Amino acid sequence: MEQEIPIWRIKYHPKNLDQICGRKEVKETLKNIIKQKNFPHLLFVGSKGIGKTLIAYLFSKEFLGKAYDANFKLVYANVPLSEEERKQARSDAYVSTSKIGSIAGRRITTPAFIQARVKPFVQLKVLGGAPFKILVVKNFEALGQNQQGFRRLMEIYGRNCRMILITTKVSSIINPIVSRCQIVLISPVKLDDFKDLITKIAAKESLEISDETIEVLYKISEGKISHALDLMQLSSISGKTIDMEKLYEYSQKFRNDLIRSLLIVAFKGDFPKARELSRKILSNYKYDINEFFKLMINELNKFPLSKFVRSKLINFIAESEFRALDGRDNDIQVSALLSKICLFSEYL
Amino acid sequence: MSNLKTEIPWVEKYRPKSIKDMALPSARMSGHRVKLADELSNFIKNFFEERNRVNIENKKIREFNRTAIDKEQKDELKIPPEKAAVLLEGPPGIGKTSIVYALANDFNMEVIETNASDTRTRARLEKRLKETIKTRGIMDFIVQSREKLILIDEIDGIYGVQDRGAIPTVIELIHDTQFPIIMCSNEYKTNLQPVYNKIRRYEVHPLPKNEVIKIAKNILKKENITNLKEEDLELIIDKNNGDLRGIINDIQGITQGNIEGDQKELILSLHRDNLEEIFSLIRDLFKVSSLREARNLTNKSDVDYNFLYKWINENLLTFIKSNRELAEAFENLSMADEIFGRIRMNQYWGLLPYFFDLFAGGVALSRQETPIAKGFRRVVFPRYTSGTYFSLTNIEKEFIEKLKRKYEISQIDFIQEFLPFLKILCGTSRKQLKNVSDWLELDAKEKKILK
Repeated sequence: MEQEIPIWRIKYHPKNLDQICGRKEVKETLKNIIKQKNFPHLLFVGSKGIGKTLIAYLFSKEFLGKAYDANFKLVYANVPLSEEERKQARSDAYVSTSKIGSIAGRRITTPAFIQARVKPFVQLKVLGGAPFKILVVKNFEALGQNQQGFRRLMEIYGRNCRMILITTKVSSIINPIVSRCQIVLISPVKLDDFKDLITKIAAKESLEISDETIEVLYKISEGKISHALDLMQLSSISGKTIDMEKLYEYSQKFRNDLIRSLLIVAFKGDFPKARELSRKILSNYKYDINEFFKLMINELNKFPLSKFVRSKLINFIAESEFRALDGRDNDIQVSALLSKICLFSEYL
Repeated sequence: MSNLKTEIPWVEKYRPKSIKDMALPSARMSGHRVKLADELSNFIKNFFEERNRVNIENKKIREFNRTAIDKEQKDELKIPPEKAAVLLEGPPGIGKTSIVYALANDFNMEVIETNASDTRTRARLEKRLKETIKTRGIMDFIVQSREKLILIDEIDGIYGVQDRGAIPTVIELIHDTQFPIIMCSNEYKTNLQPVYNKIRRYEVHPLPKNEVIKIAKNILKKENITNLKEEDLELIIDKNNGDLRGIINDIQGITQGNIEGDQKELILSLHRDNLEEIFSLIRDLFKVSSLREARNLTNKSDVDYNFLYKWINENLLTFIKSNRELAEAFENLSMADEIFGRIRMNQYWGLLPYFFDLFAGGVALSRQETPIAKGFRRVVFPRYTSGTYFSLTNIEKEFIEKLKRKYEISQIDFIQEFLPFLKILCGTSRKQLKNVSDWLELDAKEKKILK
């Protein structure tokens, strides 16, 4: 007998497009595409953690059918290249001297990311009778300037391989890429669909959960089903009924709330403690410094503050992030920001 | 005349004239202990023997070539590089250069030196050395002129744009030379690897302490100096860590300064590069009351400013308490950090004075309300702050590999969203931990991540 999956978010992970919660319009367009057996490059847009990657993954699985294994690849644009990948990219970029032309014996200056992760897949032929390969690039906006490298790639290898680019914001993607893609907007789960899903799961796990609690859960998890399931599982450990208090208690342990408590400590003017906490967050979660500041602004917007205070605080954060761009030591910049907030807290 | 004599640095004045007068540092070649003096004089003797042999052979070859047809032409012989050059490696001031000069003196040779103060581009090096090396001058046939010894000092100082093409030139020199070459360097440099492969390397060690004391006392005796105390001399020697040149310079500096009384402070202030010095520097920095004092402190110290400001960042909280001062201090420090970043990125070295003033003076002077720290305050190491790259430990990577067989998740999402959840879940009870680890088939090491 196979062991039961102990983690709910994996246990209730959708296995095909139909199982995906809500978002009927998107599912319909994608199903039409599967029927027609053809599609242009796609650009999936939607906020963080709502299942864009999952949809892209299940869609390509259904589209490719049996030939899925050989013709599908998922790459993460925001995961840095490992040392081996860098070396590989460097040696791959070298053009042999035996080739003819002005480029012989030189290195091509393709960005390492494309060289290491994209090109080897895109250049190979389609296998197993599928119409073309599918490459999914997650967090495409993280590529920054390297996006330029995709322009020609999408045209040259377009016949061989279609790409699904996934991003949280269209504005940070350069226009030539956007014009080459069909944009698919993916909205967060609607409350009604969310309710349906959660009550179903609660029934399966024989839990009691009231409608109001589900609404609270929806708010806390910001519509992210995986996060909601995590919270549900945690609160179910101590009893079969799930109430709001438990949910709140557990949600405080997650990262956004750590940053929230960091801000609260800073508002109280306790600098040493705030600094200790910020170091803990940065080292445990391995945040990029920019991401850390963005999260701070996100959390700041949830506080009930006056217009003046809010704009002032955002000014502080902006300045710190600006300095961190050129600076060498992130810890100094974070400490500087916290010390400013601590000082400012006297006027709150 | 006597006035002029005192102006020579003692280091030059007491540079040994012959290898016999010299306290020889011990040396190692590829791990084996060797006698440096014997090795070097053998090297020079062998070189000239080899050169004579090669030259005679070459003469024959040239005569042969003159009569032979093109196909049968022979190449001229060259002196093998391991017989043409050696490299002395060791910390500064232990007598590497002195040994070369003493040796040249003993063999009655002329030293042609190039060091880091010369710009060593390909063109310059060729001009300076190559011509002298390839042809022995016309004068040689008329006058019985001296042989030459080529000293390439501070070869590890060859780097950067200014010295472009220097290393290939050095290698060419080694192949073509008509005179022995001795190179000196302080440390291993990767860009010198092609040189290392071709020649013998000697590791030179600092002199033992009793030898150093003997030399120092000898100098003091010759200079008629009596007011330097025994313990002060030992302090100087300890401070310098076997750097004989540094010791002689320090003795000269202190005794010529005509300072009466206790010289301990002065000796201590001459060298400030070890840990204890950083500690006291930081303690002193927060006692200053003017920008000038702060400047003096940072100017006097040899502490690498690359990480001095990190020390200040770490220890600021010990010395400054109120929020107002802290904000002020961190404002200055963060500005300094930004400036430093720009200096390094765009080479705006003109900004460096601001950097110094901001991170030392600016920070120290922001202490206004908090009283000067009395008694001993603990100074701590700067904590390692992770770099800009997102990196995982090996165990974390293995964990993700196992997880990925069952559930597709990116590394970043795993660390930032999934792992915190798993930790809380497994923290609730043993049973949960067992369930999860059984399901993922984790071993003991990987289980630790969950705790």
